[in-house]
Amino acid sequence: MDFLLEGFFEALRLLFTGNPEAYSAIGATLQASGYSMVFSLMVGIPTGFCLGYFQFPGKQGVRTVVDTLMALPTVFIGLLVYAFLTRRGPLGELGLLFTLPGIAIGQAILALPIVIGLCATAIEGMDKKLRIALLSMGADRRQLFLSSLWEARRGILAAGVAAYGRVMTEVGISMMVGGNIKWHTRTITTAIALETNKGLFGMGVALGLVLLVIAFGVNLSVSFLRRRA
Amino acid sequence: MAAPLFEIHALKHIYAERLVLDIDRLTIAGGAITGLVGPNGSGKSTLLRMLGSIERPTEGDIRYNGKPIAPFCEAARFRITLLPQEPFLMKRSVFNNVSYGLKLRGEKNGIAERVHQALALVGLPADRFAPRPWYALSGGEAQRVALAARLVLKPKVLLLDEPTASVDVASAQLIQHAALQALQEWGTAIVVASHDLQWLHDVCDDVLHLFRGKVLGTRHETIVLGPWKTMADGRYGKQLTEGARLTVSPPPYADAAAIIRFSLLDGTGPGAETGSADQSVRGTIRRLSRERRTGRIIATVMAGDLAFSVPLTEQQLHDGRFFPGQPLDAGYRIDHITWI
Repeated sequence: MDFLLEGFFEALRLLFTGNPEAYSAIGATLQASGYSMVFSLMVGIPTGFCLGYFQFPGKQGVRTVVDTLMALPTVFIGLLVYAFLTRRGPLGELGLLFTLPGIAIGQAILALPIVIGLCATAIEGMDKKLRIALLSMGADRRQLFLSSLWEARRGILAAGVAAYGRVMTEVGISMMVGGNIKWHTRTITTAIALETNKGLFGMGVALGLVLLVIAFGVNLSVSFLRRRA
Repeated sequence: MAAPLFEIHALKHIYAERLVLDIDRLTIAGGAITGLVGPNGSGKSTLLRMLGSIERPTEGDIRYNGKPIAPFCEAARFRITLLPQEPFLMKRSVFNNVSYGLKLRGEKNGIAERVHQALALVGLPADRFAPRPWYALSGGEAQRVALAARLVLKPKVLLLDEPTASVDVASAQLIQHAALQALQEWGTAIVVASHDLQWLHDVCDDVLHLFRGKVLGTRHETIVLGPWKTMADGRYGKQLTEGARLTVSPPPYADAAAIIRFSLLDGTGPGAETGSADQSVRGTIRRLSRERRTGRIIATVMAGDLAFSVPLTEQQLHDGRFFPGQPLDAGYRIDHITWI
């Protein structure tokens, strides 16, 4: 088990000496996950609001589909996105295969159902009296939407954190769509997989620690926001 | 005659395949207090939500100052406000709850001052309560904060749904006082649903009875629910607790409700109806109140578990025989009973 301890010290050395390979993987991870999360939140929050707030025929069916998609295996998403982005695929001309935006597309597919599903749950869990209170004080449709979102902010924050956690830690999409290309599309998780295969546990543990630090930072920020909200 | 504040035509509202409101025609006057009474499930809250343009009726038309209203309509949005029965505060401070409506209206000046005034109106010192979070309030305080959030808007119409049902006596008095202040200071018309008949008798210009979604008569009529039975003498009636009995005309069905107008039965009654009563029931006076609009004295009488109202004249009151705790014989005409 000494390699774990060695890995820990190796991690500190890599991070504090500014190891370019490690920082390249960290940068690629943050960039791809950033794109995918911005898209997922912008589309997922309003969609989740509509799904949780409104009653419409077939709502239960839509809900079941969204809940099912929340459990999509990352390798399956990777396979689908690969099939679409490969040169023979319908979106092959865009040249997105083995790029960070390509990874981001796959990760957005992974995160979107989580944001939609958990936001819908948060909205459904809101007190029904909120609508009466807001309308009775003169809210229009836009104000009703924004104020309802604000009231459900803790649930929506939790949806974002859950989705971000899934996106940050996935391997399948990054490996299949990104191709794990050094200095280019190698993310933290694909780098860990590769380094472990090569027997370089130190680098693997170091990158794993970085993932933990990022997760800790995100949760710390969320916790701070929750206290303020 | 002034134009009515609200006009309702052919209103029907169906909820979960049940007709919960069925009002053919109703007008509510402005600059006054209108009371709504009726048992639970009679449609009071639904009617208030319709008047507040919170919900759209299944059928029919509601007009406010002659203009049709519906959710989000400009005619009503910033003029009418509803205080629901259960207080609901948003997850923010008391100050932000009370100022929320002002911010919706785009107001920026003097918000703090107005919030403090509104809180003072409901008996909550702003320096202590304004910074408090929503979860640090008792039920009565939360209801008063919710009322302050409406009063700060200086509404044209204030709709109150059982505002004192779940609060202590002190909070109830503050709420009632604040609502009356709104009428006196800003001419706010008030429509209030309440089971507090004494308060309604004291303050309301008009009282409407709702039953099974229909508006039935005024304050002086009592709705008596079935079931009705054939009594030993072959007549129809209802055995009340404590030995009292109510005899009625044949009901259309066992669970029908009867509308009965009671009057004093002592030979010195206030109107022709007293002399013409052919049935009587003895009860105990529980309280006396004076109508705000007419100045008439109303005795609330309990006969067993049945509560009803009997109008008294000033002369009868001064006779000294009628005060709470004293027995009172009330009469009614059996052929004047209306069945619903």
